[in-house]
Amino acid sequence: MQTADSIRSKMFSALLYAGLALLVITPVSLALAGKELSFVYPLAWSLFAAATAFGIAYTGRVSGFRRVFFTVSAAAFLFRLKGGLLTGDTLGYCFDAVARNVPYCHISMASFLPERAHEQYIAMKIGYWDIFWGALKLAGVWLLATLAIGPAWCSWVCCFGGINDGFSAIVRRPLIKSGKWAVTLRDMPAALLIFMLLASLAYATPVFCQWFCPLNVPTAFADPAVMSAVMKYALTAAGIIALAIAPLLTGKKIFCAYLCPFAAWQALWGKLSPFRIKTDAANCVNCGLCAAACPMNAMKRSPEGKPEPGAYCNMCGECVSACPRGGLRYTVAGTALPARTGIFGSLFTAEKLHTFAALVLGAAFSSLWAPAAIKKAFELVFK
Amino acid sequence: MTALFSEGFLLGLSTGFYCLGACLPALLPYMLAEGRNVWKTNLYIFAQFLIGRLAAYLLFAVLATLAGKAGKYEMPHWVLPAGLCACGALMVFLALARVKGEGPCLMKKDLNPFFKRLPLALGFVTGINICPPFAAGFLRLMELADTAKGISYFLGFYAATSLFMSPVLLGTPWIKTRAREIGRLTLLLAGIWYCGRGALELLH
Repeated sequence: MQTADSIRSKMFSALLYAGLALLVITPVSLALAGKELSFVYPLAWSLFAAATAFGIAYTGRVSGFRRVFFTVSAAAFLFRLKGGLLTGDTLGYCFDAVARNVPYCHISMASFLPERAHEQYIAMKIGYWDIFWGALKLAGVWLLATLAIGPAWCSWVCCFGGINDGFSAIVRRPLIKSGKWAVTLRDMPAALLIFMLLASLAYATPVFCQWFCPLNVPTAFADPAVMSAVMKYALTAAGIIALAIAPLLTGKKIFCAYLCPFAAWQALWGKLSPFRIKTDAANCVNCGLCAAACPMNAMKRSPEGKPEPGAYCNMCGECVSACPRGGLRYTVAGTALPARTGIFGSLFTAEKLHTFAALVLGAAFSSLWAPAAIKKAFELVFK
Repeated sequence: MTALFSEGFLLGLSTGFYCLGACLPALLPYMLAEGRNVWKTNLYIFAQFLIGRLAAYLLFAVLATLAGKAGKYEMPHWVLPAGLCACGALMVFLALARVKGEGPCLMKKDLNPFFKRLPLALGFVTGINICPPFAAGFLRLMELADTAKGISYFLGFYAATSLFMSPVLLGTPWIKTRAREIGRLTLLLAGIWYCGRGALELLH
């Protein structure tokens, strides 16, 4: 039974957490979106992110609030950048093969790497640095985000991940259980990453963007060659199935867990971040609820036989919420921070720190599209 | 002859990165899938791959010379996509046949040793895939129309481009069970991709 004092303390603590989030997110959101839009829209987006922070801090549960925030952010991405194609908005083209623009999509980064490195080599030789500046900025943002939140990029920021996550949460009793296939194909993202890098090097083109991206529909339209357009459509259709239909059947993030090369990329570089989810062997009774809850099929057996997050864990917190005995917890560099009490002290846990960083980054990054999507939705409904 | 060897060598040195792009999608996944964290084993695989590639180069040197002598300066359009399909098919076969654990494994079966020289075959089918620098060398050979000179030229080209591939051996310390599994899946993906690209061009 909670006392009035403890409820009040929790409320203040959650308000403080949300206030801090608002304080950090609002200026970034205004800077990114406020130049072209009224300040109301970025502010609305920041308030939504702050409400998410409040929910997490007040209930002490990350997963549900994260999922709502993440899915809304991804839906806003689709609405803004792909829905715009219906009205002739060229923003929907994420890759321009002719102009060779820097794409805004982080997944293309690995795919672009060999080609960009070659371009940079040429640019260096002629002393022309501007050509690479856009890609460098994107890489810089990625590096900062990776240092701060590691693989949580895939569960808080990525627009593909949000769509996949949202669909995977719709059905409570999936038709297809994770069987042997889930283990056999476990390293497919790493294989895809190596393949994409090699094929992009061989063909001097970002292979993922041109051939495999589920959001590639407009680019496939632009292909004048019938056969390759058909092939692109087939691959795009497969991507859409993995993104939207397979999660409904399995309850898992099939695209992220098995088809996204960036998941492997982030799993590798995510080790730079100090945050981890660790199993507390003393509290684990091997019930398997964490493995069933993991949308990435990322749980594996430790040498002691206990389930533990594997290489593809993207720290979404589903396993932490699913464990009834507190057998899994967020850690910093493998250790839990010392327990503190009080309004301020309760915010200094590994879980709260990680969630704060991930939420702020997710909200800041999605400010590139979410405020504009809010504006468009508002106009559609009220005008 | 030495001058022609040097000419081929220089062409290989200047365009080695393109050759790397063409051959690496086949060699690297294979090395990951079949290699061990032992230098000697990987060197043996690499050597077999290079010998297969050399055989393909020598074959093309002879073909280019014959074509040059006959005054035919155009290859049939299906040669390149068919080569791509053959390379892809072999990669898919290797990936599917070499299932880990208790599954069927070609190396354990009592096969004729000739069929066990799979890196050799992979090197050969990779070698018959014509990348832009190779095509440039091929045209030069047609112009020369002399078998000995052609072989000398292509040996130089082959020696230089092989240097660019040798860094694949650097991954040796990290080739363990998981890397092999990733390599096998990569081999499968790259094989399907080559087959698809080849079939697409054949149909086109």
